[in-house]
Amino acid sequence: MTTKYDNQNSDKSMKASWYEAAKGGAVVAGVFSVIILGLLVLNYLQKELLDPVRAERLENLKVTLIEQPKNEQLINTIRELDLQLRKDKIRRLQFSQKGGLLLLGAVGVFLIGIKSAKAFKAKLPHPTAVTDQQARQIRQAILARWVTVASLAVLVLAVLFFINTPPIDFAGAVSSYLSDEEIAKNWASFRGPQGSGISAYTNIPTKWDGKSGESIIWKTAVPLPGHNSPVVWGDRVFLTGANKQKRQVYCFDAISGKLLWQADMINPASAADKTLDMYEDTGYAASTVATDGRRVCAIFPTGDVGCFDFEGKKLWSRNLGTPDSMYGYASSLAMYQNLLLIQYDQATADDNKSKMIALDTFSGATVWETKRPVPGSWTSPIVIKIGGQSQLITCAEPWVIAYNPSNGVELWRVECLGTDVAPSPIYAGGLIFGIHSYNSLVAIKPTGQGDVTKTHIAWKAADNIPDICSPVSNGKLIFLLESYGKLTCYNVSDGTKLWEEDLKTSFTSSPSLVGDRLYLLSEKGIMSIAKVGSEYTEVAKSSLGEKCYASPAFSDGRIYIRGVENLYCIGDKN
Amino acid sequence: MLRFGHISICIFISIVLCGVVFGAERFPPPDFDESGHELPSTDYITNITPRHTIYNYLDVAVLVAALSLSSWFVLKKRSRRSVFILMVFSLVYFGFWRKGCICPIGAIQNFSLSIFDHNYALSVTAILFLILPLIFTLFFGRTFCAGVCPLGAIQDLVVLRPIKVPSWLESSLRLFAYIYLAAAILFAATGSAFIICRYDLFISFFRLSGHLNMLILGCCFLVIGMFVARPYCRFICPYGVILRQLSRLSKWKVTITPDDCIKCKLCEDSCPFGAITKPTVEWPQIGYTKSRKLLALLILLLPVLIFLGGFGGSSLNRSWSRMHATVRLAERIYLENQGLLSETTDASSAFRATGEPIEDLYDQASVIRKQFKFGGWLLGSFIGLVAGLKLIIPSIRRQRTDFQADSASCLACGRCFKYCPKEQVRLKSLSEKQEIADDDKI
Amino acid sequence: MTIEKKSRRKFLKDGLWGTCLTCLAVVAGAFAFKKRDDEKVWQLDPNKCVACGNCATYCVLEESAVKCVHAYAMCGYCDLCTGFFEPEPRELDTGAENQLCPTGAIKRSFIEDPYYEYTIDEPLCIGCGKCVEGCVAFGNGSLFLQVRHDRCLNCNECSIAAACPSQAFKRVSADEPYLIKKAGHT
Repeated sequence: MTTKYDNQNSDKSMKASWYEAAKGGAVVAGVFSVIILGLLVLNYLQKELLDPVRAERLENLKVTLIEQPKNEQLINTIRELDLQLRKDKIRRLQFSQKGGLLLLGAVGVFLIGIKSAKAFKAKLPHPTAVTDQQARQIRQAILARWVTVASLAVLVLAVLFFINTPPIDFAGAVSSYLSDEEIAKNWASFRGPQGSGISAYTNIPTKWDGKSGESIIWKTAVPLPGHNSPVVWGDRVFLTGANKQKRQVYCFDAISGKLLWQADMINPASAADKTLDMYEDTGYAASTVATDGRRVCAIFPTGDVGCFDFEGKKLWSRNLGTPDSMYGYASSLAMYQNLLLIQYDQATADDNKSKMIALDTFSGATVWETKRPVPGSWTSPIVIKIGGQSQLITCAEPWVIAYNPSNGVELWRVECLGTDVAPSPIYAGGLIFGIHSYNSLVAIKPTGQGDVTKTHIAWKAADNIPDICSPVSNGKLIFLLESYGKLTCYNVSDGTKLWEEDLKTSFTSSPSLVGDRLYLLSEKGIMSIAKVGSEYTEVAKSSLGEKCYASPAFSDGRIYIRGVENLYCIGDKN
Repeated sequence: MLRFGHISICIFISIVLCGVVFGAERFPPPDFDESGHELPSTDYITNITPRHTIYNYLDVAVLVAALSLSSWFVLKKRSRRSVFILMVFSLVYFGFWRKGCICPIGAIQNFSLSIFDHNYALSVTAILFLILPLIFTLFFGRTFCAGVCPLGAIQDLVVLRPIKVPSWLESSLRLFAYIYLAAAILFAATGSAFIICRYDLFISFFRLSGHLNMLILGCCFLVIGMFVARPYCRFICPYGVILRQLSRLSKWKVTITPDDCIKCKLCEDSCPFGAITKPTVEWPQIGYTKSRKLLALLILLLPVLIFLGGFGGSSLNRSWSRMHATVRLAERIYLENQGLLSETTDASSAFRATGEPIEDLYDQASVIRKQFKFGGWLLGSFIGLVAGLKLIIPSIRRQRTDFQADSASCLACGRCFKYCPKEQVRLKSLSEKQEIADDDKI
Repeated sequence: MTIEKKSRRKFLKDGLWGTCLTCLAVVAGAFAFKKRDDEKVWQLDPNKCVACGNCATYCVLEESAVKCVHAYAMCGYCDLCTGFFEPEPRELDTGAENQLCPTGAIKRSFIEDPYYEYTIDEPLCIGCGKCVEGCVAFGNGSLFLQVRHDRCLNCNECSIAAACPSQAFKRVSADEPYLIKKAGHT
């Protein structure tokens, strides 16, 4: 009997010592794992909080370096910081990997310890008699039901909470693109709606004087020069200006003339190509901007394209690669729905570099690109609507090509142009007019498919063909303006020449049409206003007193004219 | 010569690899006539092959072996120790070694997606991982949960001082698992997301890395798991819900005692999962008609709940459909186009660059929303049905005479065996006589 | 009475059991006999990739399974590599201030005038795609990202795929687990 008792006793003390050992082990492992966990958290926090701050600092230093490229100390700081960042990155990675394993091991030991300690202290169960089991059974059933009801109530609340999401109904999604009416009301791109040069308003002043300030609502200096024309949307006027070093987009307040914002175009690849030298007549900012009423897009001869919102925030910018253009890139931008259309003609036809590019105005992503079998050109594309179908019309040697603006698929082409095309096409009286500089005016029926050179040329004319200015037409008569001042009127329907008039001054800006009045802006800044009719009848002549190369823009009761230094808003001051 | 050889290699490669992608060429690659430089090869990439398929079949073989062993340990050998060792093995193999992928719980989603998306090829491994534990459960009960599931194992290891969750609370908390199952199937079937994988609580531990939120949540569950045994298995696991129901039908079940129950009550509190049901006493005769009436009312309520659930589920289709990338993208594009948002996201820019018509995207999104509307009806009705049954079941008065492992809730861990005096007798650590003597003493 | 009830219950139970088993067998059988594809692995289509940087941050692995690959046959061996240099490099050298790669994982070596070769130091690459962005935007696009199958855990739901803005991630056959870029014939 005694031996058994002794055995039990020694057994008990054995158990007690094992218990202590297990408990001690568990405590040590537990403390160890807490320490490792703490270190891992610290490591993580450093990675998440400290490193991004330092990385941002590095980025800022790099930006500073662009401004001070000779600062040796700055370079050393950057190199040291960069090395430190990379070292820390690797150290943290290694630490978190090793730490994870260590933690796993420590937690394992802790669990073994605490579980064995518990096993040594295990007690035998002491079941107790339950009184009133009947009532308990019933109570449990009732509770189970009520808790389920409560869970259901929570579910209902959750449903009610989530059901209130703002509804976005795709089926009822109306087209968010500009309607034709809106485009017609504004002057959203080069030469206004459809690139026609026709004002939607007839209440445009005919008399002003730049010197005395008569009818000049405001006059604001443009920081950098450029030959591009103003573009007007609502109460905003947009321009660009550039020199060899800088390229900028400007937004003026149409009411006060205040420069609301100016934005620099900075682009990586163009920075590497700072040596671009431009032909003087073209300048560094020849291309006119385009807007869709929410954004404004600009392009520069460096191949930089940028898009800004109306507050001047840059939404995106890209570089399309510097175009290889003999006189410098000068095509203006066109827009169609969400697409920015860029006629990117360059080099020679054999170089295979010319293309039509469509960028998404929201993101700047290339939506389509179509190769063009043409050399460099200086015309601007126009988007017109013929029988419900939109066409993108382009001119370059030797083709007039029409594309579907939504996907870049070619619709038709006509071979009729010669080298160095500069005047842009227009659409009038159901015909497309393309101009072969100095050579011919070609009227094309825009209804064909494929190469329609033989079938769709309505007529051709060869007298007094301009080299720079684009034509303007009221649908019955078409007016051509040569750069040295000869104005010629042709009949749209058959191409008979009606009259010609020598204005005896030189022109770069294209003629415009306001109601039945022709607006002709000479390089000297003198606007000749003539009545449209069977002969040339000048009704007014107004002088700006500043040289002008850009085409004017029209809005309700106003003309916007860009002189070489200032932007003018002309209209009734009251 | 070199050029020619190069081209022929290119052609050869493009024939061998159909997955060749073409890119833009702004700067013509040089010839290196001067230095004769040879281009480095990119073979070192293609030489790194994924894990061989044969290892996937090895996983299946290990699964079958583990399931068989688990069933044998629990039902025949009745050894908690063996089950425990197997559990640790499974944790190491399926968890830490195979990093928790693929598991039967997640395979539910692959299966659902493969039914509704004909382009999605379900791998043999996935279907076997899904089906095998179900078949084993039909025969032997939830032995998968006991010794094979790595998620169960990691929780089982941390059980320290389990508190008792009252059965009424447990039953209604389990409603969440049904919702989770239904949602997982809905999101998988619509191709939106694999939420079981995305919100896997413990996989971060297996990989020793993961997103912080999931790591923290996993830690929380392990800490809770010290006091509420296996919380994921009992209240969340969507696969567990299926296993529960199948386990009710299983051919062989875990029994606490190898013999007849002597109602000694010793095992009463031994189960950390509250899966031991006690003998019932006579139901009182008072209020009998009242309770019958309640039961009838609840049964009538069932179709109402099913309908309301379905209605609620389908009316959430707009919120739910946002789990799908296409719907999110369409909504973003919509807002941008309406001028409500001025900046584009990576996703909307990427979409816009494709030049695909926005109307097509809207159509796709509308189709997905319709799927969610229909799926929402099914999901909601299912939840309504489950909730309705949870209301009805407490009114059904069953008679039980023995201490039993509830076949649905029992995770077959074998903890209760050693508490049974009859088991001790079977193991010969206690003689029949001693037992009787002890009984007398009490 | 109770015996009858019990046997009825048993009959129902057995019936259900049989049904379940048959269902499972049919499902397993149906999938076994169906034309089944090979095992699939995750890969990203470099043509769809927009180099957003999610590959570096969303992978469940701390060091992403996605790394950069260079298709040398496509590379222009440019002196000014827009995948290697910062947008406005001070000088075209390997100074840290000029490099785009945050981990300095691209090595630049002179081959012949004016050509430089750019090789990727794999262990350092974190798959952030900064070089890819630069190369695709202004260069030939010879740098691109790929899932490396020695690192990829082939998760059931790839975290990067779920976060990919251009849905460039897809499952490809394990026999052809890479989508390597190749010079185009335009």
